[in-house]
Amino acid sequence: MYKQIGVTGKPNHLLRDQMIRLLIYLMVLCVSGVFLWILLDLIHGGGALLSWDFLTDVPRDAGRAGGIGSILISTLLVLLIALLVALPVGWATAMLLAEFIPAMSLLGRWVRYSLQVLAGVPSIVFGLFGYAFFSIYLGMGFSILSGGLTLACMLLPILVSTAEAGLRAVPESYRLSAAALGMSRTATLFHLLLPVAAPAWAAGLLLGIGRAAAETAALMFTSGYVDRMPESLLDSGRVLALHIFDLSMNVPGGDAPAYASALVLIILLLVINLIAMQLIHFWQRRKLNTE
Amino acid sequence: MRFWRQSIWITIAVLALSGAGAATLTTPHKLVLTGSSTIAPLAVELGRRFESLHPGVRVDVQTGGSSRGINDTRKGVADIGMVSRAMKADEQDLQAFTIALDGVGIIIHASNPVTSLTPQQIADIYTGKIANWQELGGKNARITVVNKAEGRSTLELFLTYFQLKNSDIKPHIVIGDNQQGIKTLAGNSHAVGYVSIGTAEYGAQRGVPIKLLPMDGIAASVANVRNGSYPLSRPLNLVTRMTPTGLVKQFLDFARTEQAHDLVEAQYFVPISID
Repeated sequence: MYKQIGVTGKPNHLLRDQMIRLLIYLMVLCVSGVFLWILLDLIHGGGALLSWDFLTDVPRDAGRAGGIGSILISTLLVLLIALLVALPVGWATAMLLAEFIPAMSLLGRWVRYSLQVLAGVPSIVFGLFGYAFFSIYLGMGFSILSGGLTLACMLLPILVSTAEAGLRAVPESYRLSAAALGMSRTATLFHLLLPVAAPAWAAGLLLGIGRAAAETAALMFTSGYVDRMPESLLDSGRVLALHIFDLSMNVPGGDAPAYASALVLIILLLVINLIAMQLIHFWQRRKLNTE
Repeated sequence: MRFWRQSIWITIAVLALSGAGAATLTTPHKLVLTGSSTIAPLAVELGRRFESLHPGVRVDVQTGGSSRGINDTRKGVADIGMVSRAMKADEQDLQAFTIALDGVGIIIHASNPVTSLTPQQIADIYTGKIANWQELGGKNARITVVNKAEGRSTLELFLTYFQLKNSDIKPHIVIGDNQQGIKTLAGNSHAVGYVSIGTAEYGAQRGVPIKLLPMDGIAASVANVRNGSYPLSRPLNLVTRMTPTGLVKQFLDFARTEQAHDLVEAQYFVPISID
């Protein structure tokens, strides 16, 4: 045993370490390479079209001319509704699963099981469900509201599982110390566990926003295809991802605006990510340092 | 904490305002069109001009395919359905109004030396009996067969014209919309496929490396679809459940007058008049 431990410093082991390190760096390079490639391709194809007018004008001539102003507004509204509905429901479920019922209880297992099934459902099925339930049965028609609610259903599994995992990753000793100090469970949750778990929750939120902003299939049948500026939440409004899909697959001569719209979508996601990271970081520091 | 509280209130205020907007701005004059993705961009443009001619009217266009147009019109979800093919025997409960014509053409890569294919050769290629361009006077290369997805009107038209069954076709690539077909063909020098002639002509004129093959000796061009000599063409229909009245009738009439012809041509279709 001694001998084996003693030989770790031998040159062939050093070489192996170096090799593995090199391989890991190569993999990382591949990952960022793919992103950079996509970004450069988008800038090359659509960068010239980007302007303030493109961001504010409504599409003309089936999207070949004009801009994406109304599309951007619809996208943000759909996203906002989806998050406003999914965040309270999803995060409350996560709190229940992680803090208020035993991990192996019947209810907990059932909730987790149904969320896992939900996570595996293809988005077109959510689209058909949203169309049948929100648009037809509840009479919302093709509307931003119906699209947002459909997306909210899609986001639940991501939000719940990341938030629950985040809470479970907080060491048990924190809860015990809080209990020893006489803190109530609610106070422990809001003043101690949530701030500690915040980065995991933020990661889940960002994953959710990314998935929602990139959704095409579920929204084609719910929020719809209308490219006019939405006047209310009951109007149909085309989202960016659907606009890109239509321009590149259905409109001859739509490639350049499709590239430009995709570039806007990526930039939008980057900006949302940066803002969300900053807010969470800021909130976590205030929570943990002053209280 | 103050920041969070503020942002929550702002959100609620925005939602309340837009809700109030919903109550006051909802117009009773709203037309909903759903169906064929081929017609949808044209219908959006028709709707835009119709709105400017009739203030206070809204035309909402939804896509999803010809069969969805049929279903939604039957269920009353849509006022008008968009169907990019001739009506079938079991669809006689709906009334169809043709607003434009569209041809379907066989396309190959521009570098392919083959200049024409007989209907028999096309059928043989799609059923796998001819697998190499050499047998057709081309290079020694395997033929990549590009077919349309199930439910597409162009597929139905193609199968009927060449008297094929979709189960007999042995495709290497299955595509959806026309523009996707153009991109697939442009990127594969040994492929053969079929798309809307207007879309293909638009691409070929702008340097996309594809070429349209003549059908039965007649050049595949928008001009030949217009004069009726090109054999493989389809009507683009708007359908309604009942005899159109009011706004629906006005829209259907508008879509088939001279006023709409430039819009039809701008989407690379062939306009027709009711007179």
